[in-house]
Amino acid sequence: MRRRRISDVHVVAEVEVPSFESVAERHLDDVHAYLVYLTRSREVAEELTAETFERALRQWRRFDPRRGSARTWLCRVARSTALDHFRAEERRRRRERAYAADVSGAVEDGLFGGLSPELERALAALSAGEREVIALRVLLDLEIDTAARVLGISSTACTTRLSRALKKLEERMSADVAA
Amino acid sequence: MSQPDHESIVDEIRSARIAASPELRGRVRAIAASAPAAEVGPSRRELPWRRLVLVLVPACAAVAAAVALAVGLSSSGNGGGSEGVARGELARQAPAQPPQPFSADSKAAGSGSSGGTALPATAGRAQLYEAELTLKIADLSAATKRALRLTHDFDGYVRSVEYGSGSERGSASLVVRVPVGSVQEALLRYSALGQILDQHVSIRDVQPQVDRRFRQLQAQRDLIAKLQAELESPSLTSAERAQLEARLVAARRQLVVLQKQQAAFERQTSYATVSLDLRTRDKAVVVPHEPGRIGRALHRSGEIVADEAKVLVYVLVVGAPFFVLGAVAIGGLSVRRRRREERLLATS
Repeated sequence: MRRRRISDVHVVAEVEVPSFESVAERHLDDVHAYLVYLTRSREVAEELTAETFERALRQWRRFDPRRGSARTWLCRVARSTALDHFRAEERRRRRERAYAADVSGAVEDGLFGGLSPELERALAALSAGEREVIALRVLLDLEIDTAARVLGISSTACTTRLSRALKKLEERMSADVAA
Repeated sequence: MSQPDHESIVDEIRSARIAASPELRGRVRAIAASAPAAEVGPSRRELPWRRLVLVLVPACAAVAAAVALAVGLSSSGNGGGSEGVARGELARQAPAQPPQPFSADSKAAGSGSSGGTALPATAGRAQLYEAELTLKIADLSAATKRALRLTHDFDGYVRSVEYGSGSERGSASLVVRVPVGSVQEALLRYSALGQILDQHVSIRDVQPQVDRRFRQLQAQRDLIAKLQAELESPSLTSAERAQLEARLVAARRQLVVLQKQQAAFERQTSYATVSLDLRTRDKAVVVPHEPGRIGRALHRSGEIVADEAKVLVYVLVVGAPFFVLGAVAIGGLSVRRRRREERLLATS
């Protein structure tokens, strides 16, 4: 059994509050994977991951472990970071009147962790919102209520969104297989 | 490849690992390490807003009550009344200072001088003069007869008399009318019948009304004279003559009415009304309870709390639409923000 070091925790009022360093180490991969699904670009996901942890450090004092896990809180910060990125990209596209990414097209090999090519293509073809719900519910295996809180929607809406996203994946993969 | 289904897709996604690159891991470790030691860990000083409301509401109520009590205590120190007075019991009302009898030497007409001086009527002006006297007398019967005789002596008349006497007490109420020119002397003589317990004089100047009536009378007389002059004209047709005569009759009738009104008014203003209340014992009154300082403080505090509650209700009533509008606006902004995010994620 791993012994928790005293320096890792700061016990206050019967609630174990982890240190930021331990939280970052523990959830880095999850946050990164979430952002990969959201942005469909490893390079962008890496930049946003770093930015997410910078923001999280600045806002660390606001984190209350009684209201949710550190991973959920980090996912919310990551989502906010990604949305700011998308807004900036939209403004840039409007200014330059050019797409930053080819919607139909090429996806980095193994972007989504070594999935089958059909699944990788199908995932890439989904919108960021659809990939996001798959990342939260399937990849990170968050509870329905937790995922809904991150997305800012109801549990029912979250379930519906996931169901539709999975159905789209299924259809695209079926079409790919048939082709 | 077999047809994919939800379960197989979910299993495949879950089994895939997306690990951060060593460079990214190094960057994040550097970020985490830069956190100052003193700031590691969330602040415990931030109170949940629900707990804050539970603390603030009673605190505000306590402050409001304390302010009300403080103001009540500070303003209760100047109140009058003694705690020695009987509470809620019938008690003899002894005047703190015996009222002075009306004096014939007063020359302060309509001056509103102190209670010991009668107010004479102003000569040359029509006034409605009313006086009330309450006297304690030894012999009710003799005092009543004397009052009636005095009224007759002043060329006045009695409007009403109520007389009643029993084994222990008796009282008589007289309403008399005396010429206004003699009212001052009359009041002096009435006062001498016994001990004055209470007195009240009221004078109301009605000269403007008299002047107005006089002008109306004059106008009516002028109209009558004019109609009479017109009727003497030989060139009138029958119809015109009939019409003029009808108008003359109406004008004369109106003149009579105005004259009667004027006469009644003159009678009213030429006599003063004096109400005499004669009694063999002091009037039994319920002495109002004078609360002590703490009672006054509590009463005043209660008034202030009531005022604070009124202000709060007023703020809530006036502010409620704004609060609702604000809440709707905030909700609308939140919905709008969410829709924009969804649109952003759908097109990215």
